[in-house]
Amino acid sequence: MNHANQTAQPTPATVAPPAGAGTRLLRIVGPLLWVAGLAIPSVMSPAWITIGGIFAIYSIVALSQDIVLGRAGMYDMGHAVFFGIGAYTSAILSLSFNWPILWTIPVAIVLAAALGAILSAPIVKLRGDYLLVVTIGFNAIFVLAMKNNVFGLTGGADGLFGVSGPTLFGHMFGTQSDLFYLNWVVMAIVLWLMRNLDRSSLGRTFRYIKHDELAATTLGVNARNYKVAAFALSAGIAGLAGTLFAMQLSAVSPGSFQFTDSVVLFAIVLVGGQASVPGVLLGTAMMFVVPQIFTEFAQYRYLVFGIAMILVMILRPQGIWPARKGAL
Amino acid sequence: MNPPLSSNPPSGEVLLELDRVGISFGGLRAVDDLSFQVRRGEIVGLIGPNGAGKTTVFNMITGVYRPTDGQIRWHGQEITGLAPHLIAKAGVRRTFQTIRLFADMTVLENVIAGQHLLMQQSWWQGLLRTPAQRREEHALVERAMEVLHQLDLADVAQEIATSLPYGAQRRVEMARTLVARPELIILDEPAAGLNEQESAGLNDTIRAIRDAGITVILVEHDMSVVMNVTDNIVVINFGKKIAEGKPADIRTNPLVIEAYLGQDDDEDDPLMNAIHEEQAQS
Repeated sequence: MNHANQTAQPTPATVAPPAGAGTRLLRIVGPLLWVAGLAIPSVMSPAWITIGGIFAIYSIVALSQDIVLGRAGMYDMGHAVFFGIGAYTSAILSLSFNWPILWTIPVAIVLAAALGAILSAPIVKLRGDYLLVVTIGFNAIFVLAMKNNVFGLTGGADGLFGVSGPTLFGHMFGTQSDLFYLNWVVMAIVLWLMRNLDRSSLGRTFRYIKHDELAATTLGVNARNYKVAAFALSAGIAGLAGTLFAMQLSAVSPGSFQFTDSVVLFAIVLVGGQASVPGVLLGTAMMFVVPQIFTEFAQYRYLVFGIAMILVMILRPQGIWPARKGAL
Repeated sequence: MNPPLSSNPPSGEVLLELDRVGISFGGLRAVDDLSFQVRRGEIVGLIGPNGAGKTTVFNMITGVYRPTDGQIRWHGQEITGLAPHLIAKAGVRRTFQTIRLFADMTVLENVIAGQHLLMQQSWWQGLLRTPAQRREEHALVERAMEVLHQLDLADVAQEIATSLPYGAQRRVEMARTLVARPELIILDEPAAGLNEQESAGLNDTIRAIRDAGITVILVEHDMSVVMNVTDNIVVINFGKKIAEGKPADIRTNPLVIEAYLGQDDDEDDPLMNAIHEEQAQS
């Protein structure tokens, strides 16, 4: 990896705004890290392959949480619901209705996005702290509904078992390595979407609303519609991650989508850095990868992360890797 | 409606009309029975002692507050109580007394925000970064830079807007409203916090805005600005209109003098100082 700095001679920026040196470096290092990550299944132990796959999935969920929380500025503390809807949708369609798992992906995305829009529409006018409490309520209801086996489809407290990976071009994605590659590629797609979001009217408008909703509305922004759109987009991406999660664990249960999971996602964004893709990825790594390095501490990951949360919020309230100011 | 016969201001059609507008907050009557008209191409000043209700009037015009009585008409159509984003869509833009720029965003991004309603790209085009979306993004930057050039802000386009000096921040806020090519812009104390040189420059800026075909209403305490640039002045006190007319008439209007004299304690009030000067001269 130490040859990498030889290639760090950046090409001139094609767009008008001059990016900082750090950003230019990141544009090169980011993709390099992703490519390097592709080597994980061939060089690392099975445990690490699983960790890498799960990291990719949770990165996608955390990035989707960042759309609502870090970019649009809404305190969504029930994000695990949308992740769970995606996972349950795929599990139910594939197990109870024998759909090929890949076909369930669009349904998982659309259902999660629709739920995001429907749930958020009546509440986006609420002030931050009130919205937060309502979303906690959503999460509680979701977990309760899944535990109580609604429509006889969700499998109750034990959940659903036996979700298998997809079959693509006659190849069955069954091993952890296969799933790792799949998750890693989907993560790249989501990272590409996040980059585009930053450079689009949609992404900018989310930030206008976060910074000053009144000023944004006097410029013609329909704040309510954009807030609902932020929830829908964010929920759709979380739903996509849900499908990956169902395949990765080949099981789905209410225990994976509890209030505490929402809290972790919320904290990842705050600790990593709001509206910052590298920040959110770092936060996710701290939560899901770092604890694995100290395996004897694995069950104390909340302790590690808890201490990190406290320290970061006191010493660096903008997050470990804050968003670059003026990202165009 | 008469089409404007010349570029001379007062001949324009009625653009905005307040008809017996009033608003109460709890028991407090903040604005009462206020009527005035703004014609196309005019620069209208709205003045009055502190707490007279000037900003409240602006907030009612721009939809931030809903009047409890009366009607506000825009091009003869009622717009009373419409949501702010719809008023913006109709062609009315404003600045704020306390500057409201988007923190942590560059001057350029702030000005691009002003073009929100001109935007054609749909959400999926943005996410997929289609060629049409890229072309539009380029056009947005170009148009914003054009306005930044006009307001002498092009050099700081990549600076974080809130890191600029106060006067420049005011101009960024103005650029953000102008970039949308509105019909009417409402300036809430544009000279507040500016030094003498900056407020002299402001006069030119306001005239340039009018010359570009945009009608202006401003609330202002700085009488050098109000007396020099406005065509028509509306004076309010305790939420009621007490006078309306040309700057020269307003200066000598006894009701206006009384309203301003009524608050002797405010020795720094510029209009009162101007009035005192006037009296000393005559």
